[in-house]
Amino acid sequence: MVSTRANWKGFIKFGEVSCPVALYTAASSSERIAFNTLNRKTGNRVRREFIDSETGKTVERDDQVKGYEVENGQYIVLEPDEVAAAIPESNKTLVIEAFVPCAEIDNVYFDKPYYLAPDRMGTDVFKLLRDGMKKAGVAAIAKTVLFRRLRTVLIRAHGKGLIGTTLNFDYEVRSSEKAFEEMPDLKIEGEMLDLAKHILKTKKGSFDAKAFDDRYEAAVAELVKAKIEGRSLPKKKVPKPSQPSDLLQALRESAGVVAGSAPKRAAANAGSGRAKASRSPAAKTAKTAGAPQRRAG
Amino acid sequence: MALRPYWKGYLKLSLVTCPVQMMPATSENEKVRFHTLNRQTQNRVVSHYVDAVTGKEVRDEDEVKGYQRGENDYVILEDDELESVALESTKTIDISTFAPRDSIEWIWLDTPYYLSPDDPVGEEAFSVIRDAMGAENMVGISRLVISRRERAVMLEPRGKGIVLWTLRYGDEVRDEENYFAAIDDEEPEAELMSLVQQLIKKQTQHWSPKMVVDPVQEALLDIINTKKKQLKKPSKAKPKEKAEASTGNVINIMDALRKSIEHERGSGKQSTR
Repeated sequence: MVSTRANWKGFIKFGEVSCPVALYTAASSSERIAFNTLNRKTGNRVRREFIDSETGKTVERDDQVKGYEVENGQYIVLEPDEVAAAIPESNKTLVIEAFVPCAEIDNVYFDKPYYLAPDRMGTDVFKLLRDGMKKAGVAAIAKTVLFRRLRTVLIRAHGKGLIGTTLNFDYEVRSSEKAFEEMPDLKIEGEMLDLAKHILKTKKGSFDAKAFDDRYEAAVAELVKAKIEGRSLPKKKVPKPSQPSDLLQALRESAGVVAGSAPKRAAANAGSGRAKASRSPAAKTAKTAGAPQRRAG
Repeated sequence: MALRPYWKGYLKLSLVTCPVQMMPATSENEKVRFHTLNRQTQNRVVSHYVDAVTGKEVRDEDEVKGYQRGENDYVILEDDELESVALESTKTIDISTFAPRDSIEWIWLDTPYYLSPDDPVGEEAFSVIRDAMGAENMVGISRLVISRRERAVMLEPRGKGIVLWTLRYGDEVRDEENYFAAIDDEEPEAELMSLVQQLIKKQTQHWSPKMVVDPVQEALLDIINTKKKQLKKPSKAKPKEKAEASTGNVINIMDALRKSIEHERGSGKQSTR
């Protein structure tokens, strides 16, 4: 029995079939340490003010309107109700437009997750959709007006129910290809790759969210205490970047430090740098490492 | 990209360290760029900070963070002091663990950032770490201080770079049991399942960036263009969408599914315009 109130109630529709659902926030943001912004000169807090860029006078909330620049200095003003008119009427329906294989979905667009549960008696259609998507390994792309904005929502099976994740629009997400554009396309093969893979294998583990603790607030409290007491904290060592000429050695030592067998192989390939090793597992993995799909943006 | 990097630090795997930079994957972009104007003067509105007591403007260089100890009692903390707190994770992403990519469910992913080398010196080391993860189909798990919290982060190779995801804390994800308790274990009828699977198959498409296009921005541009021409008249409100009725009646599901498969509009989008 759900004790929280739903954020939204409506229907999921695919084809001619629909089922009533309720939407609930699945994740919240936890508390964090708060800093105030101060004026260093006076020690007073600051507050934000909105002013006219020409006259310098304060502009009240009601006088702040959206303007779209058409020519230099010329604006078309849009009133709030005009902007609202561009949003379709809320029809309380998540209309599924397509299904997409889960493996193809670009997670960089993910915004917020919501639990979708059946809203009333009759969970048949809900379960059909859930199990149908699970069997096919797909998720659904749907659109609806949510919290006064038209959103794209990704609906997928999750345990006994469904999760709807709002997706950001294309212009809201930077292209990863553009972000990584200036990097050279280096292909790593042979001993360096093998050593790195070996290091990875020795650090195999899992992620346990519940076991993770945030130590920042305590660390800041220490800093504050030191400042009040007139002490300064010990300077942290600046990390030393590995030089390209030392990289292979650093990898060997890392692999050797972690497991005993690596140095023997490393010694056998002394000075091999990026040349392909003759062992068959290496050849197989070198091939995988060079596979084109990994380069896809 | 000629953007100021959001964060600069180091990526570390055992004894291998490389300088890196990071930027948020999401931006505050709007497709239709609006400025805030003063309705009275049509001038642009800008914001600034003023001293809460004196009312005088505060320059950028005089803005500083303060930790509140009590009423009107603040301790000023400079940025370089905050960086010197006794946590490696303010400056260094030290990968402690690797896990299969599939072992971390989507619900744990919070915010994505793009991570790339900050110096040619570190490009090779960065690529080695990236390619090892790619070859093993694994992701790296580490810690990083972002926005005043120490976060668990996941590193996933993507193209030439790495995507860093902040991961939610255990108590931030609500227990799904609370919401799904009313869903019973009874399996759907096989015949209905078969129909649903057919329908899903017919409507399955490849992922496309078109799926994340915003029709509202197009509508806004239309309104603006109309206003440009007419210069005064506000645009007409959009016609109401037909209200969708529920047909969740058990005995009609079979018919509804059959009808859907027959009349399936292929890749036709449900237009909202």
